[in-house]
Amino acid sequence: MQRERVVVVDNLCKRYGNHTALNGISFAVEPGEVFGLLGPNGAGKTTTLEILEGFRRPDTGRAEVLGVDPAARSTSTELRERIGIVLQDASIEPFLSVRQALKRNAGYYRSPRDVDEVLTLVGLNDKADDRVKSLSGGQVRRLDLAVGVVGAPELLFLDEPTTGFDPVARRDFWTLVRSLADGGTTVLLTTHYMEEADALADRVAVLRGGHVVAEGSPKSLGGRDISEARIRFRLALSVDLATLPVQPTSREGETIEILTSDEIAVLRTLTHWAVSSDVSIDGLTVERRSLEDVYVALTGGNKVAATAEQHQ
Amino acid sequence: MSAEQGLSPQRGSPMTEATRDVRLIGRHLFYEQLSFWLNPIGAFFSVGFSVVFLTLLAIAGGTSKITFLGGVPLIEYYVAGFCAYGVMSVCFSNLAITLVIRRENRQLMRLRLSPLPTWILVVATALNMAIISAVDIIVLLLVGALAFHVALPAQPLALILVVLIGVACFSMMGVAASTAIPNQESAGPVVSLVFFVLVFLSGLYFPLAPGSGLLQISNWFPVRHMITAVFATFSNQPGIGAFPWQDILVMVIWAAISAVVAIRRFRWEPRRR
Repeated sequence: MQRERVVVVDNLCKRYGNHTALNGISFAVEPGEVFGLLGPNGAGKTTTLEILEGFRRPDTGRAEVLGVDPAARSTSTELRERIGIVLQDASIEPFLSVRQALKRNAGYYRSPRDVDEVLTLVGLNDKADDRVKSLSGGQVRRLDLAVGVVGAPELLFLDEPTTGFDPVARRDFWTLVRSLADGGTTVLLTTHYMEEADALADRVAVLRGGHVVAEGSPKSLGGRDISEARIRFRLALSVDLATLPVQPTSREGETIEILTSDEIAVLRTLTHWAVSSDVSIDGLTVERRSLEDVYVALTGGNKVAATAEQHQ
Repeated sequence: MSAEQGLSPQRGSPMTEATRDVRLIGRHLFYEQLSFWLNPIGAFFSVGFSVVFLTLLAIAGGTSKITFLGGVPLIEYYVAGFCAYGVMSVCFSNLAITLVIRRENRQLMRLRLSPLPTWILVVATALNMAIISAVDIIVLLLVGALAFHVALPAQPLALILVVLIGVACFSMMGVAASTAIPNQESAGPVVSLVFFVLVFLSGLYFPLAPGSGLLQISNWFPVRHMITAVFATFSNQPGIGAFPWQDILVMVIWAAISAVVAIRRFRWEPRRR
């Protein structure tokens, strides 16, 4: 039996005056999946989230969350029992302690998680009795996540959850989100960080100007998985290029570049030749298109986009 | 699939649901009270400020009497006036500013996205305002009695009724006012200015003589009527202590108008920037 999709967005359109925020976007999120919604500011991510959270109604098209219309008043309380939301820049009552703030929110749900268990999960158990206003930015974000998951949601919305984090805090947060996803929570994530989408998302959709311009797994988006790898190294000018076992794609001074879809075989041949011919190849690197390259190309970056397009 | 079929609401019997609703109100009220009293500066400016102001005016006014009110001591007028001021300050100023701040920093959005039903939030907020107002009034009555020998209200039940109607009226006005304020930076100055002007025009600091020009203006606003309604409950004298039906009627009309504005214009999410 086919499992019910957690989120369905079907040909959604939304206008604000003369501005078209969403122009017929469609995607679906499967149970247990981490789905990333990517796009520059103004692409329509926030409007999409606000529709899925029930704050706005689309002009046309259909949005469904856990099988219901998120804007339907008759089911809104029950729906909110089953979803958790980590908003961007949302404050928590500053004079309450961390535990009080979490207990307050836990009390709104019929079957919340144990507050101390959630504090342990987000690594705030040693801050439980501190006032919210004394927490650092990263700790507040952890409390945001705790508030988002304390109701034991089946679906968790994360709206740019790690903006302003240092790299270590960001990786800790990813581990946390992954552990929630491994526990069966479906996650719908928006982010500006491609590294984050790469690390967390099973699938992503890229929005641009109210359209979905690409959708797929981060590994395969924009043909990343089948695009050619770029091998670069430096070779002394005195070496005759005709002796190379693989013909280079380009040469600029000492820098040689080879584009190939079988980088392992090329590297084996190349290194074997270098050793047997006693030739030095320095600064050897192998690159594939990063998710960021693909994203920039899809969302209309200029210089980097052009480079990424050339690789397609 | 219909919307209803998609969810398993896990609802209990009507009795269980009613008990749960009462618990939710109690829980939300408890944390609202905790948030309020744990913020010492906020609590002082909402409650302590009226006590300080009363004390200063009482010292300045001394033992004066109000001739056009049958020789009632001025201090009695001030105690009654500041009881009214306390309700208005908490329910109008404090609520309006708090709502703007919570709307703009997305605390309201967070609440809206939780399963807490809106009606429970409204009831708990009204009870919260009533409790803080009651604490303020009790402190003012005690200060008035102990420091300035002002007798406790002669009509306590009427005082309770007036206060409850005042809480409803000024809370509705607070919610309505919050919808007109665009950001948290302007919330404090705008609300305080409007409130100060209304309180000044309505004769809190000096009783308004019958027929005065200010009275003609202030009679249109509920602040004047809240002051005179509370003052009426302090006395049993004919004329002064008559049950303040007219004042209550004006406040009910303002509550109704404010409720319409609040329901039509209230927003959970911040204004788009």
